[in-house]
Amino acid sequence: MQFKKTLASTGIVAASMMLGANLAYAACATDGLPASMDGPGGYPERALTMIVPYGPAGGSGQVAQAMAQAVTELTGVSINRDHKPGGSGTVGMTAFMAAPADGYTVLEHIDDASSAHALDSGRPNPAEDLVPLVTSQITFSQIYIRSNEDRYTDWASFVEWVKAQNGKATIANVSKEGSMERVTMKFITDATGMQIQQISFDKGAPRYGALAGGQVDALFEQPGDVRKFLDAGTFKPILTILKDRPGAFAEVPALTDSGLDFDPLFRFRGFYVHKDAPADRVEWLQWAFQKAFCQESYQAFNESKFMNLIESYRDTAGSMELITNTIGQYRDVYKEMGLEVK
Amino acid sequence: MDTFNNFLNGTVTLFSDPIGILIFLGGVVGGMLFGAIPGVSMLTLAAILLPFTAHLSPEHGIMLFSVIYCTGVYGGAITAILFNIPGAPENAPTAFDGYPMTRNGQAGKAVGAAVMCSALGGTVSAVIMMIATAPIANWAIRSFGPPEIFALVFFGLAVASSVGARTFWKGWLSILVGLLIAIVGLDPVGGIERWDFNMPYLLAGIHFIPAILGFFAVSEIFVQAEKKVTGSYRAPELSVDFPSLAELIAHKFAVIRSILIGFFCGILPGIGATLAAFMGYNEAVRWSKDRSEFGKGKMEGVISSETANNAATGAAMIPLLALGLPGGALTAMMVGVFQMHDMEPGPLVFINSADLVWVVFSAMFFANLSILLIGWLETKTIINLLRIPFQFLAPLILCLATVGSYAVRGLTIDIIVMFIAGVVGFFLRRSGYSLAGIVLGLILGRIGEQTFAQAMQMLHFEWSGFFGRPIALALLVAGFATLAGSIYGAFFRRRH
Repeated sequence: MQFKKTLASTGIVAASMMLGANLAYAACATDGLPASMDGPGGYPERALTMIVPYGPAGGSGQVAQAMAQAVTELTGVSINRDHKPGGSGTVGMTAFMAAPADGYTVLEHIDDASSAHALDSGRPNPAEDLVPLVTSQITFSQIYIRSNEDRYTDWASFVEWVKAQNGKATIANVSKEGSMERVTMKFITDATGMQIQQISFDKGAPRYGALAGGQVDALFEQPGDVRKFLDAGTFKPILTILKDRPGAFAEVPALTDSGLDFDPLFRFRGFYVHKDAPADRVEWLQWAFQKAFCQESYQAFNESKFMNLIESYRDTAGSMELITNTIGQYRDVYKEMGLEVK
Repeated sequence: MDTFNNFLNGTVTLFSDPIGILIFLGGVVGGMLFGAIPGVSMLTLAAILLPFTAHLSPEHGIMLFSVIYCTGVYGGAITAILFNIPGAPENAPTAFDGYPMTRNGQAGKAVGAAVMCSALGGTVSAVIMMIATAPIANWAIRSFGPPEIFALVFFGLAVASSVGARTFWKGWLSILVGLLIAIVGLDPVGGIERWDFNMPYLLAGIHFIPAILGFFAVSEIFVQAEKKVTGSYRAPELSVDFPSLAELIAHKFAVIRSILIGFFCGILPGIGATLAAFMGYNEAVRWSKDRSEFGKGKMEGVISSETANNAATGAAMIPLLALGLPGGALTAMMVGVFQMHDMEPGPLVFINSADLVWVVFSAMFFANLSILLIGWLETKTIINLLRIPFQFLAPLILCLATVGSYAVRGLTIDIIVMFIAGVVGFFLRRSGYSLAGIVLGLILGRIGEQTFAQAMQMLHFEWSGFFGRPIALALLVAGFATLAGSIYGAFFRRRH
């Protein structure tokens, strides 16, 4: 079981969280894995199906496409993407759980699956009911304002201005009940004592348009999703929701600098297979998806999405740890928020 | 002058490259074909092609998607007119009058009107896009937030209450049924589960494509089958006559109005061609002297819908290119094409990749013009499908609709929804309710509910906040005035 030892060693790589923005991927997280691996008993004999619980154009659709391409480049095995959007990922998860556990169906999902389980334990636990093959994107959030904004220019003046508005200030995000965004905003408002009205936009374009057009005062988002606005100088970050500043945003205060003492929640996307799938097939899928993370095409994709600012990779064990910690963190906050945790 | 020179340069670049011409033609034909098949839309084609665009130059990749967008929006009109199967939601209002025209033996005129007006709407929209992309985009996002979009939806629903229904009250009941269906699933702002009956698949809501296919295509098959059984079936007469120039000129105001409406809806991020088509149709009804003719085969209905939805295509490129804000799923995929080539749409594109922008502008202009030629050929050929006897055509339509419903999300529940909508639609049509109203309520209800909730959050849950937003206020007042006029008319007609 040389492969299992190698997998364990990659967990050490995953444990190192922070990377400099300019750090090139000269050595990649899964370089230590074998270059090739035969599937057990001729598996896979046909194309795999990847269920994606979101549409093809969004962040999940794009990462699914990039990972499918990388796995195919590596193994020659085709992957058909089956998009089943709706219900904040519930529809795709339900379809996946109903599919045969034969190792031919894999699932792409985001941290919403963890928060959904935290709120309702009847929903599948991604760390227990599924086997995480790889977590291939982990990112942090930031607060953005317009670059030409003159009512406030940095985090300190923003907090001061928001407090003076007596709850009339607004921020655009995805503020569905129990979402990462709403929970993080609770951390921030509790810590600063400011009141701010969250405006929920479930699609990116109207959300970004709301800030660009002056419909809202600030935006809660991940840097990769607004990279074009940052490059164009339309938006600027005023707070990084990480303990310490990443290299790419060295000028932007992080939580510690701003006196905000809470553990940040991350947005993460990964790939899963059913826990009842044959063990030898699961092992091959783990190798294929983890090795594909280091394919040149996938690395280029992650870099274009600002997914190289913190360590974006977790193997199976690392993913389970990330998911379990996240679920625990969400549960604690939900109880504190008075939400009914089933 | 700079604009014209840039356009010429873009055109020369586009047509001096054999590969570029091939990709252009492939996009024109592919968009029309995929747009015409229900369920298998231009989005399906775009999703299939997306990975391959990595191997194309950025100019070719973006140009291909923009051409597919133009012709795909038109393509769905053909099946809407001939078989009452809108190829895409933005073609649904085209079926309201297009299919009755076919039944009245005017299929050629309906398709011809769709061809001419799609080309015209798209071309004018492309020209405006070339002239004033950046200022229009900035105006749109500054002036139109959730309160304004909600007010626009409210106005649209108020206007549409009389479309296709026997009475005002039945029209409003139809819209309310549509609104009721629209609230199934997670609420779009808070994520609260509603009307899901513990069925996870219902959390995704009732998708409007299976509903449209059921209400229009399946219920129509039932209606015609009943006529066949009772011996009153009459095959539609074939006609390949294009509408005359005089007929089109007679509708010049409808065309101009729909171009403005379509363009306006297209530039709003997240709105796009579907709302444009419905609003274009609704305004045609509102301005008509005899509203009762709509839904029975009035050419103006086809003209208004098809002009507006194609006018939205050029407009939708404006927020995408100027601000990096995609207006819908296809323009969002275009962002993916940009990113595959290490580019981002937005203000910098005009500075860093001006050549690319003008190739795209030129391609969209000529794609809209090409609708004229290919549409003319279609009118002379595809209409002959109506020669197929009903007993063979009906199962074919049913198969297409079933595949189309399933293809949207790969969910069996969508097929069930389609058949339920078909049966319900069959009985509602006999009772004078408006299927168009139900579909309108379903589609606009989603947008309306979301923007209403966002507006209330922005206005701190104070209704008076609308008074501080002049555009929203004007639209709300216009909506209430229309509603009051309709109610007064309903009572007045009853008494006299």
